[in-house]
Amino acid sequence: MSREAYAPPTLQPSSSNANTNTTDIAGPSTPYECGECSAKLQLKKGDAIRCKECGHRVLLKTRTKRMVQFEAR
Amino acid sequence: MPSSSAAVSTDTQWTANFDTVRREALFKNPPKDHTPYPALAEAIHPHVKSFNALFDDSKLLEAALKDIGTKSFLDGELETLQQRAQRLEEGKPREKRNSFSVRIRELFLEKAVLPTTNKFSTRNREIYPAECRERHATYRGKLRARVEYRLGGGEWQDTIRELGQIPIMLKTNRCHLENNTPAQLVQHKEESEEFGGYFIVNGNERLIRMLIVSRRNYPMAIIRGSFVNRGSAYTKYGMQIRSVRPDQTSQTNVLHYLNDGNVTFRFSWRKNEYLVPVMMILKALVETNDREIFEGVIGVAGSPGTNKTFMTERVELLLRTYKAYNLNGKAKTRAYLGGKFKPVLGVSDDISDEEAGSDFLRKIVLVHLGNVDVTVSQNHDKFKMLLFMIRKLYSLVAGECAVDNPDAVSSQEILLPGFLYGMIIKEKLDDWLRSVQSACQEWSVKNDKAKFTDPTFLKDFPTKILKRTNENLGGLLEYFLSTGNLISPSGLDLQQTSGFTVVAEKINFYRFISHFRMVHRGSFFAQLKTTTVRKLLPESWGFLCPVHTPDGSPCGLLNHLAHKCKITTCDLDVSAIPRLLGQLGLCDDSSAAVEDKVVVQLDGRILGFCTPKQAHIIGDTLRYWKVQGSHDVPRELEVGYVPNAIGGQYPGVYIFSQAARMIRPVKYLPLDDHDYIGPFEQPFMSVACTEKEIESGESTHVEYDPTNILSIVANQTPFSDFNQSPRNMYQCQMGKQAMGTPGTSIRYRTDNKIYRLQTGQTPVVRPPLYNEYGLDNYPNGMNAVVAVISYTGYDMDDAMILSKSAHERGFGHGTIYKTKIIRLEENERGNSGRAKSARAINKLFGFAPNSHISASTRSKLDLDGLPHIGAKINEGDPLCASHTVTYDPTKTSSTPYINSDGVNTLHRYKDSETAYIEEVRVLGSEAGSEPCQSLSIKLRIPRSPVIGDKFSSRHGQKGVCSQKWPAIDMPFSESGIIPDIIINPHAFPSRMTIGMFIESLAGKAGALHGLAQDSSPWRFSEQNTAGDYFGEQLRLAGYNYHGNEPMYSGITGREFAADIYLGVVFYQRLRHMVNDKFQVRTTGPVTPLTGQPIKGRAKGGGIRVGEMERDALLAHGCAFLLQDRLMGCSDYRREWVCRGCGSFLSTQPTVWGSGIGKKGRGTGVVRCRRCAKRVEDLLEEGKEVGIGEEWEDGTGGKWVGGQDTTIVAIPGVLRYLDVELSAMGVKMRFNVGP
Repeated sequence: MSREAYAPPTLQPSSSNANTNTTDIAGPSTPYECGECSAKLQLKKGDAIRCKECGHRVLLKTRTKRMVQFEAR
Repeated sequence: MPSSSAAVSTDTQWTANFDTVRREALFKNPPKDHTPYPALAEAIHPHVKSFNALFDDSKLLEAALKDIGTKSFLDGELETLQQRAQRLEEGKPREKRNSFSVRIRELFLEKAVLPTTNKFSTRNREIYPAECRERHATYRGKLRARVEYRLGGGEWQDTIRELGQIPIMLKTNRCHLENNTPAQLVQHKEESEEFGGYFIVNGNERLIRMLIVSRRNYPMAIIRGSFVNRGSAYTKYGMQIRSVRPDQTSQTNVLHYLNDGNVTFRFSWRKNEYLVPVMMILKALVETNDREIFEGVIGVAGSPGTNKTFMTERVELLLRTYKAYNLNGKAKTRAYLGGKFKPVLGVSDDISDEEAGSDFLRKIVLVHLGNVDVTVSQNHDKFKMLLFMIRKLYSLVAGECAVDNPDAVSSQEILLPGFLYGMIIKEKLDDWLRSVQSACQEWSVKNDKAKFTDPTFLKDFPTKILKRTNENLGGLLEYFLSTGNLISPSGLDLQQTSGFTVVAEKINFYRFISHFRMVHRGSFFAQLKTTTVRKLLPESWGFLCPVHTPDGSPCGLLNHLAHKCKITTCDLDVSAIPRLLGQLGLCDDSSAAVEDKVVVQLDGRILGFCTPKQAHIIGDTLRYWKVQGSHDVPRELEVGYVPNAIGGQYPGVYIFSQAARMIRPVKYLPLDDHDYIGPFEQPFMSVACTEKEIESGESTHVEYDPTNILSIVANQTPFSDFNQSPRNMYQCQMGKQAMGTPGTSIRYRTDNKIYRLQTGQTPVVRPPLYNEYGLDNYPNGMNAVVAVISYTGYDMDDAMILSKSAHERGFGHGTIYKTKIIRLEENERGNSGRAKSARAINKLFGFAPNSHISASTRSKLDLDGLPHIGAKINEGDPLCASHTVTYDPTKTSSTPYINSDGVNTLHRYKDSETAYIEEVRVLGSEAGSEPCQSLSIKLRIPRSPVIGDKFSSRHGQKGVCSQKWPAIDMPFSESGIIPDIIINPHAFPSRMTIGMFIESLAGKAGALHGLAQDSSPWRFSEQNTAGDYFGEQLRLAGYNYHGNEPMYSGITGREFAADIYLGVVFYQRLRHMVNDKFQVRTTGPVTPLTGQPIKGRAKGGGIRVGEMERDALLAHGCAFLLQDRLMGCSDYRREWVCRGCGSFLSTQPTVWGSGIGKKGRGTGVVRCRRCAKRVEDLLEEGKEVGIGEEWEDGTGGKWVGGQDTTIVAIPGVLRYLDVELSAMGVKMRFNVGP
């Protein structure tokens, strides 16, 4: 299940297909955003933390595209 | 609307009006020229400008380097006596010791930049403060020093040393944000009105507090009982002067009066106190004689001073007793002093005693009159000043002059943050230079006792020897800022060693700005039992706010500056003053009779003497000139003319021009112009409070506005002149606790906890200063329709009822942001300077490859092991995952970090409250080459108002929300208005907060007419009352003049018998919320020792039912409740006890013996071992043991008897007490009944 894909909220999230794309030993790359220039970049585990564009040292995780839904009561 | 186009300069004039459009324009387009709120920037000038003075403006550190001077030391070792004797026997000459000198020539402080090891950022290598906040790092710059050294009298050689990175104050001349326009500040992720003045240490904003110290360079007459304890002849009389060097460090000198009339000079040096006869210092300073000293104190022969027999007798004695030392002449005296103080001063070994004596005078005696390269005339100044101090001391003893009150602002000044920082830097530099000596000796020992003349020495010095010393000054300063503790061998002439820095909390803007206007008396005084230091004295008028001080332990010690009070940060140019005063008529002859001659001093230097009449003229003339701006007399000069008065303060003209003084603006009437006055001169001036109060021929000045005496926060209390004064104090406290808007750059802040009010409004009722200080940028509360009525009974005892509809519309809705930092390397605090090498990393964030990840974890964490942004998390949910790795560069796969165990560590959310992930920051290192080692996760906790949350109006009227009452059941007025808040009328009679009534009136009228109401105090009078002014406005809007309205019960629909006072009041939501406070438990964690519940809400503990609670329950006869609280819910235990011997400790469980049952297992039967008898003993005695009578203990012993045991319910501590007492050999016996 890709991180970006829309996943309908279920109580038991499917975990069956989780191991399929972890072939790379460093794991999947996830998107981040530079805290200075807002450049989008993909990082893998163990990568040095810096913006590829401006060299800034604070990166922000981008908001997930998964549906985030809470009980509205 | 291009209101801030380059052509039009940003307007800085503000009124009480709403100015909605103008403010919106400022927000949309932050000004590109200057701030629209200059008053705000000026409020923190003491912080920023005092820091600027270190390196640029006054170059204080340059002066400090001069004072540190050259350190020189000798090689080889000091001869012991035997060595000397042996040498003399052998007839050898003394071995020559080589001298080596070091000094610091220059200091450079760089701005914050990336280290050279970072090769990745090429465009912009500057580190901005926002990055330091986000990365929880320190905002600091490299400090470098040019060190010069020479051997003997050789050439100076120099080298540049790096002394670590020292924290930099924001918006100073070493900060990237200096002189930034609001537009630039926004670009650099700061507030548009960021004003700096604080440091960023490990991501926390900390500031150095302003401290009150005694006024510099003014000899203060002091009577202190503790002086008597100094020695046998000592009396309570003293003359103290805090003498300040050009680098702003100080040295206190005290003259003590002894019983017999003698005077000793006391000083403290490196935390030790020393006493010297004052005559010795006088004679060492200048080449003098007894007659000169006598005439210097008393006056020339024939002058009126000679009639003062009290003084003449004592001066004579002073001179006579000194004869015993038999030291004649300046050189001999200096040599004597030098010989005594050589080891103390730490001067180099090769200088003579006389030079050491001169050094002593230079470093310790009245340092403000000459501290480096002291000239003869400077020594003469010191001499004259000492004579003056002696005269004033005798005058004090004779009762002719009053003591100077050290607790009054008139004899105080402010120790500015930048100056203190400079003092610490100076001291650390001095220590470092001293440590060079031991490093040199170490080198010598290592190289077979090599001499300094060794050719390798000079080569090794910069590379090897200096490297051995601790050059990391930055670390020391960072420690000082992050803890507030001062580690100093000299104590810096201060009375405290801790509490110098505080966190600049950004709970709301009032609290934040208050930190920078805060003046502390010193933590030394906090322990003092007497309350004299805490008193509000009339001298503080206009300098310290009389209202804005906390109640409780820091009351009166922690004051705030009045909002117009400024603090000078540089010395004025007063070079013209001595000449001017000479022209006004000064002579050199002093006199013991103050009716004859009074002193004229400039910054503690005696310029001369004149008659009291002339002194008055001098005072008036100087004031006229300084306001006029003529004759080169600066306007900020303080001309303290102390008139002659019987038993009053010692007369004279004392002129002050230096830094750290408080000054405030008033209008000078003769010229109708701006004047600055200081606290020393103020008690002797006539300043009219308002234009009306000006008395012709008497008043010289008039206040610009009476509100000038209040602090920024105290000025925001509307109509504070109508309130009982303590209520205004409470409001100053509560305004700082309100949940407000900490700023507009919340996105770029990662504070541990930020409070934010979602629905802040601008108050309808506010003073013009509200806009002047730009407080609309940081809303602090909401306007609420308030009915004063006892309605449901839920508004008893300061409770208030909130309309449910108001709550649903968002009234008081707030949010808390919490930041959790997760560091993989736990023991490493913060981002300590050196970057770790790639191979040292042994943990990484994320899931270990091919590891098992549970479904619940997978649903809560993203593939990178970090949480999803926007996800909701509960207690115990994982925040992120990490795993261990080893570095293996040989691996050709995409990453060199290999995980071998496949175990994921989950870092969990431990708080009990539900939160949402707001932001996840992945923090890199300065070098930009490391993988992620720390995370900063910002959580959002919504906090809508709930029952139990605290609210307050701006009049010290706090209350707790007791119900959210449905709107249909709320009372309503004839126009259909339903109050947002109902408060009880009983809140008013005893508290007398009439200001709240007026605010209610004014707010209602303002809301009806769409006006912003000016709420400045002292605008109304008996003839022109506030009630009438706002009443008329209400009448014009068609409302009742008095603010009352007929209202109808929401439940029955019937009109109330009385009209209800209904109006609009600005309400603050305070940060004390039940969700942070509630504490419930029945069972939970207990103390292992006693079995009683542990203390503390955070640990799930209980609230103590103490003695007094117990008494109350007893009195009510609630026996079972007591039993339940003190036993049942506490350490209830069922314990075996022996009825026979009454002991808990002798009971013992029995075990199955051989035969039946499982051997060694417990039987569940408990017997008393003490009452039982051994089977062997019984058999020996020839007695029989019946079948089933015997029992076995765990060690195989067989016993008979001891059956008389039973179970009793006791508090667990009782048994513990028994154990403890038995350990002391005390037996307890319990009679068990029935």
